[in-house]
Formats: sequence, structure tokens, C-alpha cells
Amino acid sequence: MSSLSMALRLTPYLARSNGSSFREAGLRDAGLPILAFGTVTALLLTVAGGSQVFWSWSDDIAGTYQALAVVAMVLLIIPLLTLGASAARLAARRRDDRLASLRLLGANSATVVWMTVIESTVLAAVGAVAGAGLYACVAPFLGLIQFRGQAIGSHAWLSVPSILGCVLAVCVLAAASAALGLRKVVVTPLGVRTRQTADGAHWVRGLVAAVVVVVGVVAMGMLSSFGAFIVIIAVMGGCFGLALLALNLMGPWILRLRASSQLKHAKKPEQLLAARTVLESPKESWRQVGGVAMTSFVGVFVGVGMAVADTMGTSGDAEATLLVRDINTGVMITLLGSFLMVACSAGVNQAAAVLDRASTLVALDRVGMPQKLMVAARVKAVMSPLFLVAGISAAAAAALVLPLTGAVLLTQPVVFLTIGGVFAAGFLLVRLAVAAGTAQISQVLARPERYANMDS
Amino acid sequence: MNAILHAQQLTKHYPGSIALDHVDFTANAGQSIAIIGPSGSGKTTLLHCLAGILRPDAGAITLNTPSSPLRLDTLGDAALSRLRREEFGFVFQQGMLLPELTALENVALALMLNGTDRTISENRAAEWLAALGLAGMEQRRLGELSGGQVQRVAIARAQVTGARVVFADEPTGALDSATSNEVLDVLLHSVAANGRTLLVVTHDPNVAARCERVVELRDGRIVADTGNSMSASNLPAQAGQAPSSQAAPGTQAASNFKGAYNV
Repeated sequence: MSSLSMALRLTPYLARSNGSSFREAGLRDAGLPILAFGTVTALLLTVAGGSQVFWSWSDDIAGTYQALAVVAMVLLIIPLLTLGASAARLAARRRDDRLASLRLLGANSATVVWMTVIESTVLAAVGAVAGAGLYACVAPFLGLIQFRGQAIGSHAWLSVPSILGCVLAVCVLAAASAALGLRKVVVTPLGVRTRQTADGAHWVRGLVAAVVVVVGVVAMGMLSSFGAFIVIIAVMGGCFGLALLALNLMGPWILRLRASSQLKHAKKPEQLLAARTVLESPKESWRQVGGVAMTSFVGVFVGVGMAVADTMGTSGDAEATLLVRDINTGVMITLLGSFLMVACSAGVNQAAAVLDRASTLVALDRVGMPQKLMVAARVKAVMSPLFLVAGISAAAAAALVLPLTGAVLLTQPVVFLTIGGVFAAGFLLVRLAVAAGTAQISQVLARPERYANMDS
Repeated sequence: MNAILHAQQLTKHYPGSIALDHVDFTANAGQSIAIIGPSGSGKTTLLHCLAGILRPDAGAITLNTPSSPLRLDTLGDAALSRLRREEFGFVFQQGMLLPELTALENVALALMLNGTDRTISENRAAEWLAALGLAGMEQRRLGELSGGQVQRVAIARAQVTGARVVFADEPTGALDSATSNEVLDVLLHSVAANGRTLLVVTHDPNVAARCERVVELRDGRIVADTGNSMSASNLPAQAGQAPSSQAAPGTQAASNFKGAYNV
């Protein structure tokens, strides 16, 4: 326990030393992770509250709503967990350098791990409580959403214990992620200190992902043979969830392959830099574009959902008309939720990427690299893989949904229009986040003394 | 000897302190000059002003280029950036190279930034690396090289473009004494062999002892200069073209240069 008590003594000390230069480092060290954890918590609570409504019904048609709710939840929860993990990594990574130094100074590995876990958990707790507050502000408005012809009202409000449970879950996620992420610092302090290790992205990822998608497609094809309705829902939800996880697994590997090829053919400095940026950490690059992969995946379901609604809408049955309207409401909410996550994750990751490299940017400026070239390299490193990942994930979603709906539904104009719209909106959001990040490059270069040591 | 870089009455303030106090300084072409002094004496500020990284609050800085003199203190940011890229090379203590690039790419990038084709850039970079004893290490990333090897990469990068002035700030500051000597050998020999001017800021008396001229700063003023046989007032003919008269803003020569360096 002595390493824990040492960590408890050291952590506030480091936090204080950080506080003295809060304006310089505050955004980087605490602001971004808190913002990210806050958004994650608010969205998590919103999704949980929304889905709770559907489980409160018990009539004949409730099953249909519940099945659709499971699909929507899975589509939202996986990106949400990814964003959460990304926030947690952000909280832990801020300290990599300093912790590696502490390790070099002789702090034992348990102390270093404890310190990081404590710091990340505190940041997550602050963010999660803020997120819960945000949810409390938003919940009354959520109640105005109509399902089955009436506003859902207080059905969408979560109980206090549920909210506390969510806050706790976010903190646990942050702590676990920090402990896992810090292993490499503990094992090789020198390696991380000098950034010796390049992120791997093994081909096994691609293989595992492909197997998951194939299994998913087969399972979806056999869906009706599973018998009990609840089993069908479970299998369907499981397939979507696994496919999203598979995408997440495969993404970095695809990015690495593409960047290797781009590196070979790079002619201009910004092409070289962009390819090397991706190769340096395919996982980080994936975090910056992964959100759009998720929305593309969701987009296919949304498009298909709209097409289903279209065909059902012509039947004239009152209950069916209501269901059609509700499906439309549901897919719009799902889409909105996933775009909120993309915006949040892209913004947070872009800001972190620029701030992380601030001292390198200052150095490059000093040796005469034009700022517009730094911006071009940054934009290229993010935007170039975007088309690829969006296309692949849309294809994966189409493969999964095909056994359910058949090819006729997939080729409806409304599907194409929706997917096109989702792609465009996703690209725009990420591009805006990149623009915000590159605007920070100017700020960094305008005040280089904050980021580089300058003897007077 | 010809003056290549000339500073006149350089003054730079930081909040609550004066970093440079009316400094006059001339560097001659092909000379190796050590700038020494205690922490806070203004030596890095002087280096940064001469290299066009920092703007002085007052005073003039003139670079004599083959065609005509160029006033650094009147150039815009983009022109200064281009000047640093094309005319100057930098070897700093750390952080001036990109960790995600290989040794070869780091050196080649300097040429590619000036518009040189990638293959030609990489060939020239490989020649420089080989000349500095790094043959066979071209494809290593910086994290896979020792501190001394990284500084050799920086030395190659600083000169591959044909920079006429090389600025070094504590180039051996992070190295042990044996490696420090090796790196210093490489730096001094390569700079001298190519007829370049070297300005090196250092705390290390061994580094200073090996330079042709030593300038000592204290409280923002030059208090000793072993090469001060030639003051600003009796500069030879070419330097006489420089400072305030012909190269003043608005003259034809100055506007030609500003045009040339405007990106």
C-alpha cells in the first residue's frame, strides 16, 4: 500500500504545479478530457433514458419497438464506448511524459500506475458529474419527443440511482483505460520518453474483423430460425454490435496499409508528412476518423429504415402509420446522436493532436517550414483516410442488412440519398474539427514561448 | 574577410527584463563563432534575432547575400520563414527533427521544402548522412538512434540545402563528453569544409575553445569578443553596402530582395 500512499501524496503536488500554469496547460491537461467525459456521460444518459421508454410498454406492438430500440442502442453504445475510451486515453496520455520522467527518477511502477489512475478518475468524475448536469437540463426537452402519438414525457427520465450508476461506470472506464494505457510507460520508461515505439496495427486485426463480419452476415441470414423473439433481438443486436467492434478493430490496420502505400508514392513534403503521421500511430489516426466510419454504418441502417417506413406507409393502417412516423423519429434521433459523438470525438482528438505536437510545430516553424504546409499535412493526414473508412463501413453495414431486407430495398433512392447525406455531414463535421485544430497551429506559433524552451 | 551577418544596435525586451541592450555584432563569412554567457545573458535571444526567429524591438540586422544586402528586421513572416529555409541551417539541442520520420526523410525534407524532387532530395540526403558517418542508418527512425547520431542527422539537415549560415544552440548540451567531442568535430569540420559560417550558443567551455572567435554576453551586452578587431564602423567595402544606407526599406535593392523572399 505504500506505493498508493506515495501516489496520493504526489498526485496533488503535480496537479498544483500544473495549476500554476493553468492558462497554458489547462486546456491540454484537464479541459479536453473533462469535456470529452462530460459529453460521453450526457449522451450515455440520454440514450439510456430514451430506450427505457420502450421497455415500459407491454402490449402487442411493444416487441417491434423494443427490437428497433435494441438496434438503435447498439448503434449508439459502441461509438459511445469508443469515444469514452478515447477520452480516457486522452486523460492518461497527457501525463505520459511526466510519468516516464518520474519513473526515470526512481518512482516505482506501482506508484506511477496509481498516480495515473487517480488523475484520470478525478478528471472523469468531474466530467461525468458535469455531463449528468447537462442531461438533467436536456431531459425535459427529451420528454417532448413523440412516440405512438404522444410525448414520452417523464418516461425518459432516469432515476437518481441509474444516473449515479452511469457516472460510476464512466469513472471505472477511465480508471481501467488509464491503467492499461500506462503499462507501456511502466515497462519501458525510456522508450516512451523518447517516443521510440511506433504503434503496431497487425494484419490479425483485419482477419478477426473479416471473420466477425462473415459470422454476422450468416447469423443475420438465419435470423428467423432462432425461434423466440427475444433471441432474435439478441442475435440481431449482437451482430450489429460485433460488426461495429470489428470495424473498430480493423480500422487502424486498413489505415496503416493505405499510409504505407501513400508513403511510397509521396512527392510533396505534406504528402510525406501526412503518411508518416498516420504510420506513426494508426490507432490515433483511426480515433480521428473512426467516428465517421460509425456514422456511415449507422447511415445505412437509417436509409434502410426510411425505405421500410416508405413501403409500410402506403398500407393505410392507423397503427402502421404511427409506426412509420416513429421509425422516422427513431432513425433521426439515432443519426443525430451519432453525429454528436462524431463532432465531439473529432473536435477533442484534433485539439489534442495539435497540442500534443506543439513543440514540434514550433521547431518546424523555426527551421522555416511554412505554416500552410503544416496545415496541409494535418488536413491530409485526417481527410485522406476518411473516404476509405466511410466506404468500408457502409459496405459492412450493407452486407449485414442485406439478408434482412433483400437487395430491392437497398437500391431505393431514399437509401442512397440518406447515405449520401450522412457521408456529407460526417465529412463536414470532421473537416470543421480539423479546421479548428489547424487554427490552433496559428495560435501555437503566435506564442511559441509557451511550447518551446527559450533561454533569454 | 567579408561580413555575412551584421547587427546594429539590437535591442530586445521581455516583460520585466532586457535581453539585448543595443548590441552591435558582425559575423564574417566562413567564421566559427561561439556565443557564451551565463543563463539569462541574452545569448539565445541574440541567436534567434540573427536567425530571423525573433524580431528585435529596435535595431537592424543585415544579411549579405551574393546579389545584395537584405534587412531581416523589415521582412514579413513568410519571407523570414523562406529565408530560414533557404539561407540558414539549425542545430538545436533537441526537438528540431521529426520523430516519426526516418533519418533520411528528416534530411531530405529540408530539400523537399525548397521544391527539390523527392528522389534527388533523398540521394543528396544519403550522401550527407554517409559523409557524417551514418551510412546504413538512413531508414532508422530517430528513436532508434543514439543522441550523438541524432545530432549528426541535425547537422546534415542544417547543411543539405546549402545554407550559408548554420545556427547551433547548445548542440552538445544533451550529450556525454566523449559523444559531445565527436559531434563537435563533425559540426566544425563539415561547416568549415563547406565554407559556411557557424554561430554556436554554448555553456560548454570546450565548445567555445574550439571556435575561431568567442563572444561573451552578460546582461544583454557584449562584454568580450576575441574577434573584435573589426568594429561595425570600419567594415570592408562589401559590408559597407549593407546596413542602413543602401538596404534601408524603400530602396530598390531592398525591395528586390523582399520580392524574392516573399512567398
